[in-house]
Amino acid sequence: MVDRTLSSTAQRAYWLGRYLERAGSTARLVSVNANLLIDLPVRLPLGWLPLIGILAQEDEYRTLYGDRSHNKNSTLDENEKSVARFLLSDPRNPGSLINSLSFTRENARTLRGTLPRASYEHINDAYLFAKETLQEPLSRSRRNAGLKDIMSRLDQINGFLSSTMLHNASWQFFRLGNFLERADMTTRIIDLRTTNLVENESDLEPFADIQWRSVLNSLDAMQSYTVSMQNPVNQPDVLEFLLKNADLPRSLLRCFNTVQNCLRSLPKHDQTLDLIQQMRRQLQRARVKNLQGPRLHRYIDARQKQLSSLHQQITDTYFPQS
Amino acid sequence: MPIDWKSYPADSVYDELIAPGGRARKGASALKQALTALGDAELSERRHAAELAIRSMGITFTVYSGEDSGTIDREWPFDIIPRLIMKAEWDRIAAGLKQRVKALNLFINDIYNAQQIIHDGVIPRVYIDKSKDFRPQCMGITPPYEAWSHICGSDLVRDGDGTMYVLEDNLRVPSGVSYMLENREVMKRVFPELFSDYVIHPVDDYPAELARCLRSLNPNSTRSPQLAVLTPGIYNSAYFEHAYLANAMAAELVEGTDLEVGTDDYLYMRTIQGRVRVDVLYRRIDDTFMDPEVFNEDSTLGVPGIMRAWRAGKVALANAPGCGVADDKVIYTYVPDIIRYYLGEKPILPNVPSYRCVEKEHRDYVLDNLDQLVVKPANESGGYGMLIGPKASRRERAQFARQIRANPRNYMAQPMLNLSTAPTLIDTHAEPRHLDLRPFILTGEHQYVTTGGLTRVALRKGSIVVNSSQGGGSKDTWVVDL
Repeated sequence: MVDRTLSSTAQRAYWLGRYLERAGSTARLVSVNANLLIDLPVRLPLGWLPLIGILAQEDEYRTLYGDRSHNKNSTLDENEKSVARFLLSDPRNPGSLINSLSFTRENARTLRGTLPRASYEHINDAYLFAKETLQEPLSRSRRNAGLKDIMSRLDQINGFLSSTMLHNASWQFFRLGNFLERADMTTRIIDLRTTNLVENESDLEPFADIQWRSVLNSLDAMQSYTVSMQNPVNQPDVLEFLLKNADLPRSLLRCFNTVQNCLRSLPKHDQTLDLIQQMRRQLQRARVKNLQGPRLHRYIDARQKQLSSLHQQITDTYFPQS
Repeated sequence: MPIDWKSYPADSVYDELIAPGGRARKGASALKQALTALGDAELSERRHAAELAIRSMGITFTVYSGEDSGTIDREWPFDIIPRLIMKAEWDRIAAGLKQRVKALNLFINDIYNAQQIIHDGVIPRVYIDKSKDFRPQCMGITPPYEAWSHICGSDLVRDGDGTMYVLEDNLRVPSGVSYMLENREVMKRVFPELFSDYVIHPVDDYPAELARCLRSLNPNSTRSPQLAVLTPGIYNSAYFEHAYLANAMAAELVEGTDLEVGTDDYLYMRTIQGRVRVDVLYRRIDDTFMDPEVFNEDSTLGVPGIMRAWRAGKVALANAPGCGVADDKVIYTYVPDIIRYYLGEKPILPNVPSYRCVEKEHRDYVLDNLDQLVVKPANESGGYGMLIGPKASRRERAQFARQIRANPRNYMAQPMLNLSTAPTLIDTHAEPRHLDLRPFILTGEHQYVTTGGLTRVALRKGSIVVNSSQGGGSKDTWVVDL
């Protein structure tokens, strides 16, 4: 049977998957961070700016909000307002939640020939809802409630697509986008918390675990961790769990496994499949438990580079060549 | 407070639902009663429900705007009071439309082949030579079934005395049919109980009929031809419809960049696996953008070589290139003659009486009576470039007179019709608004006419411009049996 999926359709389905996932991670990041800060002592130099770091958007943020916001003296509240706005509702930030949703919608719109009819309706509703909900002024409590609703709508969209869309090539591309984005976000979250962990200030050590807890929460993995690891939260176990647990939906290994399965069902997959298999083998062999500080950072960095070469490989193999 | 039909002004025009004096027309009384039974609150609620349905179903059209974004998506403006047509009247109209489009297709085929109708002196050659949409590249081609305009959307209007006229035939790339289908869906969501009072003929067989029509054009020897819908992309005002139809027909929705013509002159689409042949292409872009090798070389919307593929008989194009030669407001004035010439039949549906500005006698009359006429350019669509004499200023009329004298071939004029109205919900009361009707006629191996069509309504009081880009809305159209 000849697969008639257009290259351009494959590309849109892939980006639909990526943006949908990205919108969800952004919402989760902001709401988890808000919770984390409640539990931390005020003098801990964490706050909101690290979120900008996770998404590698320091330059965009500085351009839009100026150096004032990087000033250590500006209050937590001020930072919270501008960072939350930048990440959630600012139309000028291409990576904001509202823009991720708008790109999701745009891709869904151009995929109207492929997606089940009602999915555009759901995605459009979610976009309109988020736009309305995230309008300024946005109090902390309204924001938290709104993000919760937005996240649950996004989960519903994923579920709806999964249970109604034909599981054909377009679906595989949607999943590829979804899981590559997910893998990318998991590595970013680990990386950020690692570089910001305060290792030398002994009086703050009790709070290190709180931060690892927030990492787990950012990935909706706290409960799963407790069940799987049977251990209090500690860095080696968290790393092992988030990188190499084969059952956790957001672990790096699980993402790699899913990507591999998707690619296996697509035509012309020789090179892409080679690459993901190599990535998987390396991950399985790696001893991640005891990675610390700069070594952990370098390790994560190398995974991100691999993810981006895989993205490039997929683009070159399947998408329209300009 | 319920709608007060006594004060509804239906005396000076023909209203589709209400007869002079406030009585319901034949067939409309159940609808009128149902509407009367709804209070203000409920009317608002239903209207709100319709707006919500349209918004969440994503029924939109795109408007070009000068603002920074360039284009915006607007939700489709919809009125919840349906328009009724009795089945017996509709049958006659449908027969008239089939007759008309059949003759027009024979005319186009003749123009690109023997041009008998010109030799026989029925239509002067000048109209063809000077036609903006005559394509010499199409000479000598005879598509299957001699059908050129496979999908035609004709606009019908009713005048004050109740006569239904054909106002124009959109033979090139008519749009609107998806809104006809969606309007029915919205009505079912909003007014389910009304459907039990009537036998309303369904409209939803259109996508299947369109697919059947397109498949019948398959030039290649495959049992199940690959169909594709060619769209200019998401910024086109009718993109919603392109996607809708592709979806409903299980055809591939493609843009120019998805397609290529091979050295074997077949048309292919680019897939993740390589090239797949396309047998029938329902193109929703204008002729001049279709093939940069032949027409507008700057066009990035089309497919280089597609005319070659079509001429070689390796792909069917619907509508065929060049069919716009009959979609010209001056050629329109000859349609009754065209029907008589090719079919030897009396036209079932009348044309609006028209004056050709190129003929001196007609032109003098037009110039003397500009304040009572509607003047239309031969080749514009969407209501652009028209003069509505009675509503224009003295200066606008003077300027139009100069344009007519400078290029008479480009203009025709018609008396200002007293377009019929139908009750339209404005706030919580019903007011008459002018409307027209666009049915769609398919021609391939068989002919098919939609049940009813798209009713477009001018939402501004007194306006007769029904185009959605210019303040028009729409209504569901019910063809009913009593």
